[in-house]
Amino acid sequence: MRTFKLDNEPKIESGFKIPEHYFENFSSIIMEKMPEDEIKVIPIFQKRNFLYYIAAAILVFALLIPTVNNWSTTKSERDSVALENYITYQSNVNQYDLINNLEEEDIKNIKVHIAIEDKAIEDVLVINSNLENLIVE
Amino acid sequence: MQEEQEFIQLLLDPKTRNQAFGRLILHYQKPLYNQIRNIVLNHDDTDDVLQNTFIKIFQNLKNFKGDSKLFSWMYRIATNEALTFLKQKARKSGISSEVIQNKIIDNLEADIYFDGNEIQLKLQKAIAHLPEKQQLIFKMKYFEELKYEQISEILGTSVGGLKASYHIAVKKIEAFVTAN
Repeated sequence: MRTFKLDNEPKIESGFKIPEHYFENFSSIIMEKMPEDEIKVIPIFQKRNFLYYIAAAILVFALLIPTVNNWSTTKSERDSVALENYITYQSNVNQYDLINNLEEEDIKNIKVHIAIEDKAIEDVLVINSNLENLIVE
Repeated sequence: MQEEQEFIQLLLDPKTRNQAFGRLILHYQKPLYNQIRNIVLNHDDTDDVLQNTFIKIFQNLKNFKGDSKLFSWMYRIATNEALTFLKQKARKSGISSEVIQNKIIDNLEADIYFDGNEIQLKLQKAIAHLPEKQQLIFKMKYFEELKYEQISEILGTSVGGLKASYHIAVKKIEAFVTAN
């Protein structure tokens, strides 16, 4: 068998043929396919993402509503308690000052009508041992 | 080199880009066609890959850093496109790249754009038995007659490594042709 030596052979061409006139039109075909100054493509997902963001924001606000409500209520409660404590312990206002500051109108509003029968008063007076002292006064 | 820099500037400038790109196609269409054809072997596939290659080159021009020559950068894109094409074709058919290559070679005999004689066909079959990298090196050196320095820039392999690979490839091809 004859040993094949590549260098001893005349150059072997690849044997590939190219269709006639192929390269004549190639350049124009490519130029036609070329994107005219990169057109900005807005992906459909971007729009959808935007909707997701809106939905997420609404959800967060919705979840915050009860929290915000609770927070404001406790705050006002705490405020009235603090005010009461302040008046009781920190200020010099006493019961009499308060009474002096009340207007006629206020007193009328505070007034509570209690219907007490005469018999009930009598009973109280009978039971009460300090009756005499009260009469004297 | 200075000339190439100026040409790259023309390619990057939106006003001169299209005209410069037209010139680029005219200048490189044949060498890139040959590079792709030697990998994918039939004309129609080469046509598809070559078009994709030029579109890719156009889209990536702004990313071209100029640290390699325009020619080797374009060759690299063409080679990658061709290899990717072969792999996709193999995946679609559910067979390996080697098997699809042998299949394409078997079809060469009926290909109207192949008029190879017996020894040319045998050479193609022998090449198909080589590992991918050796195939590339052999085709670029033997068929396209590129210099080792050019191949080195395209494939990123040292000249010494390329010479060794080419030598091994030639030995394997000679053994294959002698045995068949």
